[in-house]
Amino acid sequence: MVVTLNHCLLLAAGIFVVGMTGFVVRRNALVMLMCIELMLSAVNIVFAAFSRQNGDASGHVFVLMNFAVAAAEAAIGLAILVEIYRRRRTVDVDELKSLME
Amino acid sequence: MEAFLFFSCGALMLLGGVMMVLQRSAVVAALWLVFAFIAASGVFAALSAPFLAIMQVLVYAGAIMVLFLFVIMMLQGPVLEGERKRLALPMWPAVAIPPVAVLVLVGSWLSRRHAEALPVQPAGFGSPGQVADLLLGRYLLAFELISIVLLVAIIGALALGNRERKLPWS
Repeated sequence: MVVTLNHCLLLAAGIFVVGMTGFVVRRNALVMLMCIELMLSAVNIVFAAFSRQNGDASGHVFVLMNFAVAAAEAAIGLAILVEIYRRRRTVDVDELKSLME
Repeated sequence: MEAFLFFSCGALMLLGGVMMVLQRSAVVAALWLVFAFIAASGVFAALSAPFLAIMQVLVYAGAIMVLFLFVIMMLQGPVLEGERKRLALPMWPAVAIPPVAVLVLVGSWLSRRHAEALPVQPAGFGSPGQVADLLLGRYLLAFELISIVLLVAIIGALALGNRERKLPWS
């Protein structure tokens, strides 16, 4: 059994689908943010796999960029979430229907 | 050995993701996500990306998930209560169709190409030195831009978290 590019892509697709399904199913905004992190992680695996396939480490640089983007997204998303919780006392997305405070 | 590492860590990562989605408690979900990220580090190691494997543990499992856990601890009581009511599977076709579509697309593309093993790379491939050469050489502009993104994120998080709303521009 050897690792082929197909295996990497299938694994990444599976993880992405898990994250996407979780994003749709869950109503807790915190867990939805975590699902976004999981989807970003799936993309990282594709970058690393193609980097190995082509023998070019540029993909690793893009994974590092993706880390930074994920960190920024988590920081801003969680700050927004804390602010929403302060005003509305909930992070359930079904309860958050109004854009007007 | 490499294949064993890849398949076992890949399976564990999938398990971690699925368990995260199924858990009702946000704390337990976060811990399953940490599990998935540590398994992802094993996948990176199997794909001969040692530097990424280390950064995955440091940045994702370390920094980002600690941030999540801090926020969960701040909001814990109400979050758990709200999530206990129901795990809402709204309009299940809407949930089922996108995954199936993605898998069919990927599968149809996979069936024809890239069935041979990944090429073995030389020993220094993906080492910190090589990645640093690219990061501070060919991709220097992107490196500087991503630092600006992080700076903006810091300022934005501070502005959003400012309870008194005494911002310099308001």
